[in-house]
Parts: sequence; C-alpha cells; structure tokens
Amino acid sequence: MTTSAADILSDALNRVASGDRAAFEDVYRRTSAKLFGVCLRILPVRQEAEEALQEAYLSIWRRAGSFDATRGSAMTWLITLTRNRALDRLRAGGKIATTTMDLAEIVADQRPLAFAVLEAGQEEAKLAQCIGTLDQRDATLIRTAFFEGSTYAELAARAATPLGTIKSRIRRALTKLRDCLG
Amino acid sequence: MSDPTPTRDEDDLLAAELAFGLLDANERQAVEARLANDRTLADAYRRWQDRAATLALGAEENPRPSIWSAIEARLPANDMSRVVASAASVRWWQASTAVAAAAAIVLAIVSVRGPLPPPPAPVIAHAQAAAPLVAVLTGTPGKGIVTVSYDRTSGRLLSAPTGIDIAGHSAELWVIPAGQSPRSLGVIAAGSLGWMPARAGAAPAITPGATLAISVEPLGGSPTGKPTGPVILSGKVAAV
Repeated sequence: MTTSAADILSDALNRVASGDRAAFEDVYRRTSAKLFGVCLRILPVRQEAEEALQEAYLSIWRRAGSFDATRGSAMTWLITLTRNRALDRLRAGGKIATTTMDLAEIVADQRPLAFAVLEAGQEEAKLAQCIGTLDQRDATLIRTAFFEGSTYAELAARAATPLGTIKSRIRRALTKLRDCLG
Repeated sequence: MSDPTPTRDEDDLLAAELAFGLLDANERQAVEARLANDRTLADAYRRWQDRAATLALGAEENPRPSIWSAIEARLPANDMSRVVASAASVRWWQASTAVAAAAAIVLAIVSVRGPLPPPPAPVIAHAQAAAPLVAVLTGTPGKGIVTVSYDRTSGRLLSAPTGIDIAGHSAELWVIPAGQSPRSLGVIAAGSLGWMPARAGAAPAITPGATLAISVEPLGGSPTGKPTGPVILSGKVAAV
C-alpha cells in the first residue's frame, strides 16, 4: 500500500468515528475484498465468513473512534479487528480444539501461500519468503495458532505436549522469523 | 533489528506473542499494561501486529453485493428519524412528505384491497382519542419498505409491506423504546397488508419517538424472544 492510500484510509476511518456514513462506505469499498479474504481463511464455510465480515464492519462502525493512527496503520487495525470477529465466530461455533494434534504427524501446510496471489506488497512477499525458511512443522504450528486463535496453553493441551515444549518451539520459530525479516 | 540485549530480545518475543494471541489472559494483561509506558515494547508490538496482519491476509475476494446491503441495514439509527421528528409536531395535512406519503400509501392500499379481515374498530366516535401513530420502516434503498400505523384507540396495528423478499423466513416486528431492549410485536405478513392486535406487553412502548424495526427470523418468529436475525428495516414512530 502506498503512503497516500494509507493516509486516505486513515482519514476515512477518522470520519467514520464521527458517524460519517459516506466515509464508512468508502472504507468498505476499499477494504472489503481484503477483509473478506481474512474471514475466508479463518472460516472456510462461505456463509460463516460472510456473517463474520458483517460483524467486522459493524465493529468498525462502532469502534472507529478507538483507531489511533499514531499507534499503527489503519489496514493493520482493520485486519486485526476482522480476525478477532472471525475467531469469535469460530469459537462460538465450537469448532476449536475439537481435534487433537500430533506434533510428530503435523505435515506441511500444502495450501499455496496466499501471498503468492496477492498483487503482493513488499511486506507480504518478504513474510512469505521468511515463513518459507522455517521448519515446515513450526510454520504449520504458528499458522494453526494464528488461524484458530489458540494460546500456548490450548496448543499444548491439544497436542498433549508439555507447555514448555510448545512454547520454546514457537519462540524459536518467531525468533527465526524476526531475524529473517530483519 | 537484531538486538544485542537479552531483555530487549525477550520483550520483542513478548510483543510477538501478544500480537499472535499466544498468551493467556494474565500474561496478556501484564504485557498490555506495559505498552502505555514502554515505548520500545510498544514499537515492537506495532511491528509484530503488522506482521500478524500480513499473515492473516488470504486471497482477496469481493463479497456479494448483498453483504453491504445487510451491513447498512444493521447500522444503528438507520431510520428517517429526522424527517419524521420534524413532522411530528405539525397537523397531519401539513406533514412533510414522508409521513404524508406513508399515510397515503396505507390509504391507497386499503382502498385498493377492499375489505380486510378483521376490519379495524371504528374510531370516528372517539373524537378525543389519541392521535394515530405511524412509522415508515426503511433500510437499503430498493430492498423494500414497510409502513406501520398504530391506532391507539383500538390497539390495532396495520402493516403495509412493499418489496420485501425474505423467502423461507418470517419478518418480525419489534418496538425498541429508547435505551431498552426490543419487544416483539409479532410476525407480520411480508407479502401483503396485515392487521394484528398489538401485544399487551409491547403496546405501551409504541409511542412517538420509539423505534420500530423488522428482523429476519426463522419461520414463525424468533425462537428466543429477542431478534436473532439481521434487522433489515427500521424507523421512528411519529404521531399524525
């Protein structure tokens, strides 16, 4: 995203905070395809993803006032909020932690990286490349945690593995990711 | 960004764990409490939030156009309150277009449809009776309108829908007094004009300024007594 596009979005969000419907529609037009992609990743059932998207935008409408451009980008704020709404729905549906994981048998995530099909911004491309350098099982563990909203404790319980083991594994992967991203 | 000091390194990982949602509630609160005063930690958190957001992106896909309509219809205050409120204080023949048109629509439909079962109680005898109330319920343009009128003397509600398409579902009418939760007025006929008695528990809430809303519910109405589906139309009650 170019700086100017980010600024426009940031301004629009500030106007939404004061109840500006036209600005809200503008935010929707600019971001709904991206945010729908976020919902679909977490909730593959289309109808669920559509519901989550609606809930995300209603939250955006209500909470635009809490967006602070000095503390982060508008797009990150929108994506974080959307991911949380989608995870709420995933949890409400009882679809989490019903399956057990076997760390020894976690296979590499075969889905093509979403970033490959984005008109990739630099960060996406770099992140994709760096995730590619991780041990595949660690990458999958991070993805599982992230897309199911699982904490260390929940992951440990599901994998029937000591908390410390899970924690050090993910921390090692996060460190490697950070070093790669520089 | 490789950091020489172990503490900073540790904080950077904490920021990552916070951004990825790995911490339990206690740990999370402890880290969040530090964000306000620890600039380095806050910057690290911001970087990891950006990374986490990037990871969350899937393939972009435009949602169906109806999703925007549904979002718009669920926004609060999606009504004609300003138009209706300004009309509420004038006599009905001077009322602004919204209320006049609403009344005209109701009258026109009544005259075209002929006798309706059951007929409204006559109100002519009640010269001093409370003025009838009317609300025009709107949502997304082109997605239908329901005009509701309430005769306080007879306690009957008339609902006149146009262009409502909710096949396989019921349209439930609610009254929402300011600051309170919705009370059901019952399921209305979505495809035709209908009369019904206002429910005793909800009728007193139908007053000028109250909000009426229609939600999409399973056939037969909300199983819980609260709206469970999206609110597609809403509007404010005004006296005519």
